[in-house]
Amino acid sequence: MTTYIINLAILIGINAILAVTLNFILGYAGIFSLAHAIFFGIGAYTAAVLAMKFGADFVVATAAGMVLSGVISLALALPALRVRGEYFVAASLGLQMLALTVFSEWKSVTGGIGGLIGIPPARLFGVDVSDPVWFLCLTLACLAITLLVILMLVRSSFGRNLKAIRDDETAASALGKNVSLLKTLAVMVSSAFAAVAGSLYAFYLSFINVESFILEVSVQIIAMVIIGGTATLIGPVIGAVIVLLLPALLTYIPYLPPTEIGSIQQMIYGLAMVLLMIFRPSGLWGYGSDTQKKGAQ
Amino acid sequence: MVFLQLFVNGLQLGAIYALTAVGFSLIFGSTKIFHVAHGSAFAISGYIYWWLASKLGVPWPIATLAAVIAAAVFGLLMERWIYRPIQRHEASFFTVFIAAFGVQLIIQNLIGTVAGRGMETVNTPLSRSVEVMDGLFIAPIAAISILVAIVVFYALNYFLTRTHVGIAMRALSENPDLVRVFGLDPGRVAQWAFMIGSAVVVPGAIFTAMTAGLNPAIGTHVMLVSLAATIVGGIGSVRGAAAGGMLLGLAENLAYWKLDPQWSEAVTFIVLFAFIIFRPSGFFGSPTIAK
Repeated sequence: MTTYIINLAILIGINAILAVTLNFILGYAGIFSLAHAIFFGIGAYTAAVLAMKFGADFVVATAAGMVLSGVISLALALPALRVRGEYFVAASLGLQMLALTVFSEWKSVTGGIGGLIGIPPARLFGVDVSDPVWFLCLTLACLAITLLVILMLVRSSFGRNLKAIRDDETAASALGKNVSLLKTLAVMVSSAFAAVAGSLYAFYLSFINVESFILEVSVQIIAMVIIGGTATLIGPVIGAVIVLLLPALLTYIPYLPPTEIGSIQQMIYGLAMVLLMIFRPSGLWGYGSDTQKKGAQ
Repeated sequence: MVFLQLFVNGLQLGAIYALTAVGFSLIFGSTKIFHVAHGSAFAISGYIYWWLASKLGVPWPIATLAAVIAAAVFGLLMERWIYRPIQRHEASFFTVFIAAFGVQLIIQNLIGTVAGRGMETVNTPLSRSVEVMDGLFIAPIAAISILVAIVVFYALNYFLTRTHVGIAMRALSENPDLVRVFGLDPGRVAQWAFMIGSAVVVPGAIFTAMTAGLNPAIGTHVMLVSLAATIVGGIGSVRGAAAGGMLLGLAENLAYWKLDPQWSEAVTFIVLFAFIIFRPSGFFGSPTIAK
């Protein structure tokens, strides 16, 4: 039982990092990305390959993933953010499809559909973190650092500029803000920290394949942010807890065929998204409809 | 000869894409709603046709009619139950997008639960290829889909320029307040746009069911193609969307010349990206940098 709870806690921690980083662009900057699972994947594959081939330290492997993820997000954001918001949605959906093909076809690096097996345990300053309890501590530390960085950015002038852009892009650019540059930086930060989650995931499971980075995963991260509440610090974390506890709760419902649980789970997210948008667009943890009215644009 | 074969296949796929993208573009153009659940109308009508024609043996005209009605009702209900309540308190791109995405998720999983997650095809003699020339195989369905795409496109053009509802729809895209001043109900006009825009996907859905086949996740693929074709053709331009769809269909098939089939979605993305970089306003769109 304890193992089960620790396992769930680690997965919640990893997903919370993803939700918090997506919320940074979705909630604060109003940028809608459907490719968040890809940056998660880039982090995971980079860390896995570095650890397997060169026995890289956790910090080194994670940092490399962050850099690569940031650079690739730049390739997406630079052209797509110059133009209207709709373009970024389409381009990110395209990147999700394209990158997934690369993950499953670039067999020499990613192991193809079969994935990478036998990733060594995370090595932090020369010590192997193989005990689940210690790994949970590592995950929570990474989540705390991510939250802290996001909090500092949101409170800084950078964060205020992003919110200004989200609320009124024209006014922000009229005030001399470099809208494209700010948005691009936001996407880079968000993608780089999503890679941290990927690195943790690869080291924890010691096995990764394409299945963990498909569109459904991107959608699940979006669901976490929306259900928890956009543009709040804690909302996405709560969303991650709810979304990850859902399948466990569903197994307690009698007469539910186990093969349909995944489907039912997705229908529940879908329904939650629709109902929240109609009745409470700011999410469960949001500030109520007044701020949101002035908010997302 | 391989080239010619791929070109013909590309025209056929392009016709299907054009039919899908035109509906999306019509809805977006007149109501300014970014209707990402458009793929669901495609999936619903495709599966209804498959269920009636293939499972129950209903004659094709009745099955087609049922599919058209299903798609139109889906569009109507989306406008009434989802988009209108949201727009009543707030009409941001963000809320509309999430809600539509939620609907897409529900429909996709509902279809998977009800009809199964496998690939379903409608068997018809029309999709049997005939060797027309040495090494060139063409199925009658290729000619039919191209022909239907042209007919639908011209009918839509006629509708938008010659009928009252069509003109009102174009007026709605220009200035909703002026539509109201003329004594028309903008909500009613928007409903028409949703019904017609959704019904237009039906031929594409049926041809897909007859050729490549349907799976529950097809809505997502249709969404990517519609978005890409609309951007490539120029946002809000119906003829642009048709041209964009055709271009994507051709590009996808011509890519088979050198690439493996699993890269087809990647080709769509590369064409889309090239347009975003070099010509963000698309073929026919007015230059719109940032809204």
